[in-house]
Amino acid sequence: MASIEVCGASVTFTATQNKQTTLKEYLLKGLFRRSVNPQIQIHALTDINLTARDGDRIGIIGHNGAGKTTLLKLLAGIYPPTAGKAAVEGRVCSLFDISVGFENEATGWENIIYRSFLQGESPATLKGKMQEIAEFSELGEFLTLPVKNYSAGMRMRLAFSIATAAEPEVLLVDEVLAVGDMAFQIKAKARMKAMMSISRLMVVVSHDLNTIKDTCNRVLWMRRGQVVQEGAPQDVVRAYNRDAIERAAATEAQLAAAAAAKPANPPAPVLDAAKVA
Amino acid sequence: MIQHASAMWKFRHFLMALVKLDLRQRYRKSVLGIGWSLMNPIAMTIVFTVVFSKVLGAGADPISYAASVLTGMAVWSFLRDSTLTGCRCFSTNEAYIRQSPIPYTVYTLRTALGQAIHSLLALSVVVVMVAIYQSDSAVLLRVALMVPGLLLLFIAAWAAATIAAFTTVFFHDTQHLLEVMAQIVFFLTPIMYPRGLLDDKQMGWIVDANPVYWLMELTRTPLLTGHMPSMQMYLAGSGVVFVLVGLAAGIVAWLQKRVIFVL
Repeated sequence: MASIEVCGASVTFTATQNKQTTLKEYLLKGLFRRSVNPQIQIHALTDINLTARDGDRIGIIGHNGAGKTTLLKLLAGIYPPTAGKAAVEGRVCSLFDISVGFENEATGWENIIYRSFLQGESPATLKGKMQEIAEFSELGEFLTLPVKNYSAGMRMRLAFSIATAAEPEVLLVDEVLAVGDMAFQIKAKARMKAMMSISRLMVVVSHDLNTIKDTCNRVLWMRRGQVVQEGAPQDVVRAYNRDAIERAAATEAQLAAAAAAKPANPPAPVLDAAKVA
Repeated sequence: MIQHASAMWKFRHFLMALVKLDLRQRYRKSVLGIGWSLMNPIAMTIVFTVVFSKVLGAGADPISYAASVLTGMAVWSFLRDSTLTGCRCFSTNEAYIRQSPIPYTVYTLRTALGQAIHSLLALSVVVVMVAIYQSDSAVLLRVALMVPGLLLLFIAAWAAATIAAFTTVFFHDTQHLLEVMAQIVFFLTPIMYPRGLLDDKQMGWIVDANPVYWLMELTRTPLLTGHMPSMQMYLAGSGVVFVLVGLAAGIVAWLQKRVIFVL
């Protein structure tokens, strides 16, 4: 049985403005003056609760930076919760960031092997799948070339073919449907559909609200790391849409107000000849 | 701990495939290929036997001096390279780390295993040298006696690589710091000179306090003398490994949930 049990989970991490911390900064830590390189707390997820059982199809929607991907990574076990609990049972397959993580010097065939092992295949189970992965990717002879010679589209194709060859119990998807050219996209969509129907449990992040409405039986709307609303796809998507329109209107009004406050014809900046010289 | 080990076992195929790749890549596009691993110790032997034995003029035979130096160098560079490459370990494997929740120690093991194979090749040159020079049929016994020492050495290198990898994520200067320290330790360890040189000047304690020395002797003594190292040596070596593993395990437990946010 596959299940997801997330209980009051938060993900908070600290970041510094500059990647580099100087020795002075290290030793003084803003002792006398205010630190020039302050640490910023980022609340990526706050107090998330989510329970899912076999058969659930959960969609996550929200603006960019709302914490959708972070939630997926939490479920995949890549981010540990900094507070609360997150437990996922069942064989997880995650489809995000798939086009990175190739060994560039190795050939396509070899990369199929590494990736599959990383997804938990064993040499025995992989044997039957190699050919199928290769066929689906349609890369043919290119598979004998090092991956560094591949185009971005070819990489995506290969990555997608490998990632979707698994038979997951829990499927985590992050908008990977934009793969390759038209013909491949149609194939990819069909394959995604098949995977979604095989998997016992699915969580999908997407901006395509129609897909969400069609495939999910429950939707989470997230904003700034928190769940705004959870419920039936129709209701949540409608509320989300209304909110988006309201926000757009508010922004427009703001812009209009700002434009009105400014003088109608701002004086053109005069070049000071002396300064230029 | 057991959970960690079983998670690592699950990804053994992944690990071994990558180690194989690393090995192949090390000599990609090179004419001599794996021969370079052998070339280095062979060239050094020639230099030592021709030049250094005269400089030291100990009257000792140059071949055994070369054998001693080469064994020391093989062990030393294994420890040093594992630790220094360990520093970059998490940034090299970042793409995998961001994709799959597999134990971080798999990546440091990738580093240590890659270095181990390279060092074993260098060590095999010495074994051949000893076999020819001693014309001793019991060279296989010597090799067998080396095994426990080599195992301890490998665990130590893995632990050191793990410590270095985690430390580097939180303190970027680790690698530079270690490079300086490695240089110092290299001169303090009896690799190029016999231990007696320091003992004569009542400075033997420097050697006794050096953990690298104890790990090195467990390999060097059986290969050069054909005797099993003393119990005391094994105890000292195991002690060093125990401390390193303890430190590594502590660091993993402490930091493994925080690395991903800092990387």
